[in-house]
Amino acid sequence: MERKSLLPYLLILPAFAYLLFFVGYPLVQALFLAFTKNGVFSLDTVRKTISDYYFWSALKYTIALAIAIVPTQLALAVVLALIMNRFFRGRDLAIYALVIPLTISDVAAGLIWYSMLSPYGFLNKLLINIGIISQPIYFFGYQFRSMEFLAIVLAEVWRATSIVFVIILAGLQMISKEYLEAADVFGASYWMKLRRIVIPMLKPSIQSALIIRTLFAMQVFGIVWILAGRDIPVLAGEGFYQLTEIHDYGVASIYALVIAGLSILLGALYIKFLRAEYLEVKV
Amino acid sequence: MAFAIVASGCIGGQKEEAKVLWLSTQLNPPEERVFVQDELLSKFTDETGIEVEFVPISYSDLSMRLESEVQTGKVTIDLIGELHGGLDYFNSKGWLMDLSDKKLEGRTFISTFEKYSTIGGKKVYIPWMSATYVMVVNKKAFDYLPDGLTKDDVMKGTDKWTYDAFLEWAKKLKEETGSPQVGFPAGPKGLFVRFLHGYIYPAYTGYQAKAFDSSDAAPMWNYLKELWPYVHPSSTTWDAMSDPLLKGEVLIAWDHTARIKTAIVEKPDDFVVVPVPRGPKGRGFILVVVGLAIPKDAPNADAAWELIDYLTKPETQVKVLEKVGFFPTVKEASGALPEGPLKILAEGVAAQAGTPDAVVAMIPNLGAKGGEFKDVYRTAFERIVLKGEDPATVTKELGPKLKGLFDEVGIEVP
Repeated sequence: MERKSLLPYLLILPAFAYLLFFVGYPLVQALFLAFTKNGVFSLDTVRKTISDYYFWSALKYTIALAIAIVPTQLALAVVLALIMNRFFRGRDLAIYALVIPLTISDVAAGLIWYSMLSPYGFLNKLLINIGIISQPIYFFGYQFRSMEFLAIVLAEVWRATSIVFVIILAGLQMISKEYLEAADVFGASYWMKLRRIVIPMLKPSIQSALIIRTLFAMQVFGIVWILAGRDIPVLAGEGFYQLTEIHDYGVASIYALVIAGLSILLGALYIKFLRAEYLEVKV
Repeated sequence: MAFAIVASGCIGGQKEEAKVLWLSTQLNPPEERVFVQDELLSKFTDETGIEVEFVPISYSDLSMRLESEVQTGKVTIDLIGELHGGLDYFNSKGWLMDLSDKKLEGRTFISTFEKYSTIGGKKVYIPWMSATYVMVVNKKAFDYLPDGLTKDDVMKGTDKWTYDAFLEWAKKLKEETGSPQVGFPAGPKGLFVRFLHGYIYPAYTGYQAKAFDSSDAAPMWNYLKELWPYVHPSSTTWDAMSDPLLKGEVLIAWDHTARIKTAIVEKPDDFVVVPVPRGPKGRGFILVVVGLAIPKDAPNADAAWELIDYLTKPETQVKVLEKVGFFPTVKEASGALPEGPLKILAEGVAAQAGTPDAVVAMIPNLGAKGGEFKDVYRTAFERIVLKGEDPATVTKELGPKLKGLFDEVGIEVP
């Protein structure tokens, strides 16, 4: 009896120890770096960070990028998953093609997009050769931040939609056919089935996908750094910059903590508002 | 006392098997390390029988290690390769050996370097390599020179080659070619900030940082504001100017010699290297000097001295210029250069260093604060030139922060 109740704890102990050592310890250290000065509690570093010219800008751009990227990815992934959930010739090949970006690191993806959109890259060369334009279109440079923003959104959507797609497709395949057959009996249209059955049943998958993508969107860095440098500051990029260029570990820790805080907050909101209602027994 | 080697290759006493530990903050990129290991050091070992362990290291790690070794009295480092500023600091702490009584035969060091390497009567280091930042001009740009400026003025760096003349030239280039033809490496890893603190600031104010928020600084910032529409808009994403020059995106660029070398080597007939323009206070430019120093109580000081002797030989210096783009510190090496791209570079560098109105700037050694120093200029540039804020307001706001960095480290504001 005793042993039985201890077993689950013993089973998760290795994982828990790992997390404590590799996540808990650095987190505590980050808190110390951020909130102490010469060993005593101090808010100097916090003041320094929030008075920094780039901090608010980085916060704004990180959130703006998440708002531009995550819903686009979700919508695109749902549409693609609905298409791929039907049987047609070449479906497997299409699915393989769609998940290729999963295997590419964000730095590599950034470089691929840079070489496509740079002033003498594929796109400009193509347009110049066809004769549509005579001067290259600039996507990169401080004066073209809106274009840089667009390029980042394109590259991120291309790179990370596949993970959302895979999660949604798996969710679709879990939906029992019986519900849909019952709906057919009552003569429901395709849209009706989508709205009343498929999307509600997909909620758990959508929730997982959204949480994963939003958390990663808070950490967006590689692609931004390669395509826009610091023209478009983001939280993770500023943290990296403070650590490697300025050597200010305290400020870098605050950036890390802000990212962590935002992630926790958004994760909690999703869990609160995206409850999968059909699982709850309503009396 | 330099210790004489017996005929090379012969097995001598214990000393022959010395292994020199050489820590260097320079030549750290992978391809440069390979060059040091496979070409420089293997030849040295063949000639002298002395093994060398080359350890690339960052300035802050080097500083920490040297300090702890000196304090514990267990020095393992035999030779240090570092910039002037760092060696100056190590010397001020009393960590370096005096090299005054050592002699190197058959070479003459360039006097500027001799001057800088002797601090307070003590020979702190032997000048090893040098670098600077220059302007590269695609010869096509000379077809668009403004009135009153000749190709000769630009090539020789005469009084007429001023920042104002440069602005006129940039204007004419944009008007007549239809797009901006001047480029700067103002990307996140670019060295544009060096242009700000070491070139245009001294040219307009006479100092790098001392007159950061003075009345002389405002006209400089306004000048940059005026120039910027004629600068290629992709500049803020460029880290090095070789590619934009080779692709013909710009006809005139400013950058570090090592970062434009590829363009000159690939198309030596298209480009010339010229001195930078002058401002009201003279021709400001940065001289980067890398020195070789021996720590006090180094275990193999004699073998380290032999390595210094080898690294400063004219033929070794030419090889370094050919492979990694650092310039010689001995006069005989410049004479040994063959006709070609490197000579174009070397002549441009020599022309810049030789102008009578030179205001030489050394990169200040702020150690770990170096990043913050650069960030001040970068932020000022972004706010004033790119966002259009008022120069006086921004420099007044950032000035105390800049001077505070020097106070913190305890060195004079340059």
